[in-house]
Amino acid sequence: MKYAALLTSNADDITAWEKLTPEEAASARAEEIPKWEALFNELGPTGVFGFSAELDAPRTSKTVRVRDGETIVTDGPFAETKEQIGGLIELDADDLDAAIAIAARIPVAARASVELRPVIEH
Amino acid sequence: MQYLALIYGEEGRWADLSPEERESEMGEYMALSTADVTKGGHELDSVATATTVRVRGDETLVTDGPFVELKEVLGGYYVFECDSIDEACTWAAKIPAAKHGAIEVRPVYVDGGES
Repeated sequence: MKYAALLTSNADDITAWEKLTPEEAASARAEEIPKWEALFNELGPTGVFGFSAELDAPRTSKTVRVRDGETIVTDGPFAETKEQIGGLIELDADDLDAAIAIAARIPVAARASVELRPVIEH
Repeated sequence: MQYLALIYGEEGRWADLSPEERESEMGEYMALSTADVTKGGHELDSVATATTVRVRGDETLVTDGPFVELKEVLGGYYVFECDSIDEACTWAAKIPAAKHGAIEVRPVYVDGGES
């Protein structure tokens, strides 16, 4: 089964992150990156992970609607929620339990959450 | 630059469309899926199939349902390769759900560069 794992971040963490100086942010990233590398180095070669992307902060997003033929673009995310999508990993797992076991190892699961959604194959 | 276009819409809507409307909308999605600008993307199964995983301490907490309940739900996404977010937004406007729901366009993070 193919799943899309939606990786979320807490809005408070995002706000705190954006207040860091570039040096502080670089050092926080340097601390965070090895956890991700360990996971990707272990599962990457097994073909469990497909496309993945870390997303830029929600404030950098734009939301697009078309109404009566007119395109309306607003700044910011679609919804201002306590947890915001911050990344996406497509993963292949035998079943939901296997997908849950993998999701629990994604570092953001310990601070925010990982939502698993089966992908529809066309 | 890559952009993720998150597609939000009301879930029951598809069931209310006529076969002709569905066929026409599916054609628009297929055209977008095969466009040069599109590097990936998927339709997601209904939000009823969502499972949310959190780890607190040593415990894995698994709940049924999405991480947040919204009236318009995430139904899929595209990955677009574009020169700017404005260009990505013009592609997002071509997604049929833009006409009744909304498309959130987010830059994919590039280490060391402000997008």
